[in-house]
Amino acid sequence: MKNHRAAIVALSFCLLAACSNAPNGQTGSSGGAQSGNNVIKIGADLPLSGGDASDGIPTANGVKLAIIDANKQHMIPGYTLQANILDDAVNGVHSPSQGVKNIQSFASDNAVLGVVGPFNSNVAKAEIPLSNSLGIALISPANTNPDLTKGSLAQELRTTNPNAITYFRVCTTDDIQGPAGADYAAQVINLRRAYVLDDNETYGRGVADQWAAEFQKDGGTILGHDHITKGQQDFHALLTRAASQNPDVVFYGGTTSTGGGLVRKQMADTGLGAIRYFGADGIRNDQFLTDAGAAANNSYATVASVNADKIPAARAFLKEYQAQFGQAVGSYSAAGYVAAMTIIDAIATAMKSNGGKVPSRSDVLAQLRQGLVHKSIIGDFSFDANGDTTNKVISTYGVQNGQWVFLLQKNYAK
Amino acid sequence: MAEHQFFQQLINGIALGGVYALVALGYTMVYGIIELINFAHGDVYTLGTFFSLSIIALIPMSKFTAGYELWLIAFIVIVLAALLCGIVGVLIERLAYRRLRNAPRLAPLITAIGVSLILENVMQLWKGPSEVSFPQFLPDRIHTFGGIEIHDHALLVVFVSIACMVALNILVFRTKLGTAMRATAQDRDAAQLMGININSTIAWTFFIGAALAGVAGFTSGMYYGTTFFLNGYQAGLKAFTAAVLGGIGNVTGAMLGGFLIGIVEAMTSQYISDQWTSVVVFSILILILVFRPSGLLGEQLPEKV
Repeated sequence: MKNHRAAIVALSFCLLAACSNAPNGQTGSSGGAQSGNNVIKIGADLPLSGGDASDGIPTANGVKLAIIDANKQHMIPGYTLQANILDDAVNGVHSPSQGVKNIQSFASDNAVLGVVGPFNSNVAKAEIPLSNSLGIALISPANTNPDLTKGSLAQELRTTNPNAITYFRVCTTDDIQGPAGADYAAQVINLRRAYVLDDNETYGRGVADQWAAEFQKDGGTILGHDHITKGQQDFHALLTRAASQNPDVVFYGGTTSTGGGLVRKQMADTGLGAIRYFGADGIRNDQFLTDAGAAANNSYATVASVNADKIPAARAFLKEYQAQFGQAVGSYSAAGYVAAMTIIDAIATAMKSNGGKVPSRSDVLAQLRQGLVHKSIIGDFSFDANGDTTNKVISTYGVQNGQWVFLLQKNYAK
Repeated sequence: MAEHQFFQQLINGIALGGVYALVALGYTMVYGIIELINFAHGDVYTLGTFFSLSIIALIPMSKFTAGYELWLIAFIVIVLAALLCGIVGVLIERLAYRRLRNAPRLAPLITAIGVSLILENVMQLWKGPSEVSFPQFLPDRIHTFGGIEIHDHALLVVFVSIACMVALNILVFRTKLGTAMRATAQDRDAAQLMGININSTIAWTFFIGAALAGVAGFTSGMYYGTTFFLNGYQAGLKAFTAAVLGGIGNVTGAMLGGFLIGIVEAMTSQYISDQWTSVVVFSILILILVFRPSGLLGEQLPEKV
């Protein structure tokens, strides 16, 4: 009998562990209960825990601020807006399968009319087919992989309704971001010998290829290109091999949560500490500074969005953000704000045209597909036929004295 | 140039292998004595890093600057982390495995996986699901021998590992407790008839195995400067491979296996490709299980009849 009880205790412990292992479905505000009258919800699917949280939380804050502002301005007369923010990180890293579960959860709540997110391109790759078949608008503040919207690979993600775009983004793509970073390395800093690493994910591998191709066009040499593995902790052997080729720059395609900070830290152990380190928006976060520690200096990163500090229209936003959350904005806080505002705008316009009734999800989508010009705190933009933004600004940052410092930004719109 | 590269990677491999070897000892000792593959052991190793950095946080580091003071602190932290891990190991044995000692083999194995999940989640709640930085307070001078660079932190990993192994060998082969452990491993009932307290002997085995993982937790924290609550999963699998490679149940084999696996990883990264390291390591596991299940050195215990 005693043994029996112990087994049950042990089993329930395992179950408990398994439960807490499952994502911590963090909700920003809201509860399912009041989803009845006069509430319209904006979903947000972002990584809020682990290595991605230092990107995901500031972006989620942008969404929250948009909801606060919209409610203040009564943008949807007679209705209160609520944010329903879910975490797509599992065990500290963004998870495509968790992202899919979150979209399903949004879809099952009729009050959710559109979703901001996701943050990571591999999560988007899993979510786009679902949003396409369910007909729910998805506006990403931060996905940069070009294959999510353009070309035959993007077509494969939209097989249910091939002609219906349900996925949009307010940041530009890696076919612009990668080359912009490479040009900075080759033309501004005059680097010539690059060793390229990536985390083998949709985003990381894509941006690394784009960066490498442009770096070669600029007259640089790619000494080698390696992929790191999920959960890898030791990069000494890999970096020793890279060091033997005498690179003057190491490029890392990927996020901090997949190893971006650890690689930089271990470069110091393998004779590469004085070598410049380039990455893209996946490492432009505070977690990178924590993980890389003293080795973080001389790192550079691009972000596929404007620096809100440089835009007069964003001043009120920046002030309000600081007052509300007591910290500076993240790379994609303004983009999160704009993504949410774009959905709210679409809801408001659709509502006006059908006489004050709450629009359906497809009404909202129809509104977004019209290609109207949106005035926003990150500049005016519209969505093209693929759902991409016409606002193609890349900003570049560098680490100085252990802090990310803005260097320059450039508009690549033709 | 090519040789220089080879030796540099050899250093990387030996440092990595030093960590694997210490963790592998825990697998092999526990298997040797109760034939259980303790899958929670990798997480005890991560727990060692977490204990170490929590202990370090309690020490007012800025007051100590002299080299010998820092090394003394390191020694104290290692001992405390080992002690705490050892206690956790004993608790795991007492609460989870002891009752299942005579149960079918699958029951303790599944329990081990359950314990592993519990430890991982406790660590996630404790330090969060992000990388945690580990204060590298020891000096990290670089020694150059013919163009090959060796860092103090790498030397620390290797020397501490070797020292632990020597101590363990003395313990197992020269002391009363060691004799009791070997006797229990050979035949539990007969050992009991000879007056050996089986329960306390097995508890000591868990204590020592977990304490060694705690030591590895400190040295690897110092070597990498960061830790993550799930690190023990991969490291545990590789250390387990090391134990099997050396001959599970065999203490010397586990050390040899640990260093070999570390070197194989570094060489794979140098001469094949970094993303193939896990493939190569786990292929070795499969090949060993198929062609030489008793490992390189074989089980050191006499055949059971």
